[in-house]
Amino acid sequence: MTAVPAPGRRYASGRPLVACQRVRKLFGRFVALEEVSVEVNRGEVVCFIGPSGSGKSTLLRCINGLETVDGGRVLFDGSPLPTRAADLRHVRQRMGMVFQSFELFPHKTALANVTVGPIRVLGMPPAAARVRAEALLDKVGLADKAGSYPSALSGGQQQRVAIARALAMEPEVILFDEPTSALDPETIGEVLTVMKRLADEGMTMVVVTHEMTFARRVGDWVVVFDRGQVVEEGLPGDIFDRPREARTRDFLSHLGWDDSGRRHRPAGSA
Amino acid sequence: MEFTLGPVLDNLPFLLRGLWMNVVVSVVSIGLSLILGFGVGLGRSFGPRWLAVALAFYVDSMRALPVLVVIVWTFFAFPLLAQTSIRPVPAAITAISLHVAASVAEVVRAGVESVREGQTRAALALGMTRIQVLADVILPQAVVRMLPAFTSLMVITIKDSAVASVIAVPEIIRQSETVAGQTFRPFEVYTFALLAFFAILFPVARLADWLYGRVAHLGRS
Amino acid sequence: MTFDWSIVWASRGALATGAWMTVTLTILTMAIAIPGGILLALMRLSPLGAARGLAIAFVEFFRCTPLILQVYWAFYVLPTQLEVQFSGFATGLMALSMNVSAYNAETFRAGINSIRRGQSEAGLALGMSGAQVYREVVLPQAVKRVLPVLATTWVALFKDTSLVSVIAVGDLAYTAMQIRSRSFRVLEMLTAMAVLYWAMGYPQAKLTDWIHRRLAGRE
Repeated sequence: MTAVPAPGRRYASGRPLVACQRVRKLFGRFVALEEVSVEVNRGEVVCFIGPSGSGKSTLLRCINGLETVDGGRVLFDGSPLPTRAADLRHVRQRMGMVFQSFELFPHKTALANVTVGPIRVLGMPPAAARVRAEALLDKVGLADKAGSYPSALSGGQQQRVAIARALAMEPEVILFDEPTSALDPETIGEVLTVMKRLADEGMTMVVVTHEMTFARRVGDWVVVFDRGQVVEEGLPGDIFDRPREARTRDFLSHLGWDDSGRRHRPAGSA
Repeated sequence: MEFTLGPVLDNLPFLLRGLWMNVVVSVVSIGLSLILGFGVGLGRSFGPRWLAVALAFYVDSMRALPVLVVIVWTFFAFPLLAQTSIRPVPAAITAISLHVAASVAEVVRAGVESVREGQTRAALALGMTRIQVLADVILPQAVVRMLPAFTSLMVITIKDSAVASVIAVPEIIRQSETVAGQTFRPFEVYTFALLAFFAILFPVARLADWLYGRVAHLGRS
Repeated sequence: MTFDWSIVWASRGALATGAWMTVTLTILTMAIAIPGGILLALMRLSPLGAARGLAIAFVEFFRCTPLILQVYWAFYVLPTQLEVQFSGFATGLMALSMNVSAYNAETFRAGINSIRRGQSEAGLALGMSGAQVYREVVLPQAVKRVLPVLATTWVALFKDTSLVSVIAVGDLAYTAMQIRSRSFRVLEMLTAMAVLYWAMGYPQAKLTDWIHRRLAGRE
């Protein structure tokens, strides 16, 4: 990535909340990430797009330390990610993560899933945690499911509970790892609606996604990955309407986006 | 703790004959219990209701009884009931086979029932007879899933052959008792017996683990 | 050949005591072998090579040798080597506990490993420590997976306690066989022994089936 500040990037004031600097990640001999540099500013919604295996999820997991980097560094709020477990935990409390497979704790109710972080990690009194959790479940539209177990909830409902669980920690940034990839088409919409509302409220979000319409409409900045490298990044309008790189054009055309920036084939028929 | 090989080496042929007896009893029992167990398992799954009930009673009863009790009853009590005599080795083999066959039957029943119903329907739709369905469609898929459990049962059978020592079958524990009594060196003799069993059981147990790993991905067919 | 079944009724007191000893041994062994198994499983999963190696050796030794030989070895060998004489009961309990701990270790290890990695990642992402992840997320789920297997192990243990009879511990098997030797009523006593084991074991086996049905496939 060049040192030229990208024109038109709306939220670039002060230092970035998350900065990946020439990050390198290896799995054995496989190079998953090769000198990748990405910045996320406060209040921005940054979308990582690209083919499967291009490294976008790997980079996301490097941001909260679920994967360690083999080269380069990850900065959060100006400081490198700590290596000491206790310090890393503190940093993770300031970030939230939503997983593709939801990963709700099946042995706890929806409410308990949302309160376990505040109670066990933040040391909140259970009564206060309950109040916060109930408000959050209401916010994602699942107030009536507080007492239900994950096995009784649909995929979309589980993912919304997972979002509430992340919000309960009052994070400064939420990392979304393909949040809708495991959902039926009917339920994708309800999750994207919640995510859009979060974005409108100013939450900093890093979203790995295949939902191009979401990236186009809600994203503030789009980063295109391919084979472990950042191919191109820019404003959504630029990436989808006027992609500069051939690899970007290839990837978008496979998903049904032509150069006019409109989808000419239904999603998923590529 | 001193360990001298003397007492073991002096009596090695005697002890090894005992170990061979364990092997023979185990192998024959495994063979018989597989045959009987298959019959019982298939009878429970596919036989008439009265047969299924009777066989269920046999299987559940064997699950409730220790193998020691079955061995002892077969050798001491059965001859009195049947007005006949029975030698230790046949008694041990009979008792162990009957006991293990019940577990084999459970494995067979579970394996057969894990094959999806649709398979049977498809085969019948092709015009196959019930026997053909069983032989060509169900059993080949089921047996693969049964192999790890069978291997575990082999381990159990080999251990049961050691229990046969209580009815004076001349297997290695019995021989060890004799040698230990004569040489006053129980440590070396019994340790040798432990190592001998370990040498046999460790590979079989590893084989079972490997098989469990290999069939884990199969799930329901 | 005549059979005199009255001996069974006449010995009902001794038989009851023996049955009680069998039950006691089972309960005490499990009480030791469940924490023992958890400890061994955690050692087995530990990053420390020495702890792992020790646990593996222990588990393999007890799983790959017959229990009856472990009992004999403990009874005849330990006193001569350690210069200390344990009672038959203590020896039997020791052998049974170590044996069942080894089996439980594998059960717990499989249960812990069966919990998807994503679950602990979700816990870590919330800022939980490794220990918290174990306590809050992994172990509660593992226990549910493990309960049916523990029930099966319990029933097997109940039957295996009969093996301590070979070192003259007064369980049901030993008691019945002693009365048989004294009274020469072989068929009667051995049949009574079998019936009593059956009466105690059959309901346990059925209960285990019920536990398997209730808890398996609950995901």
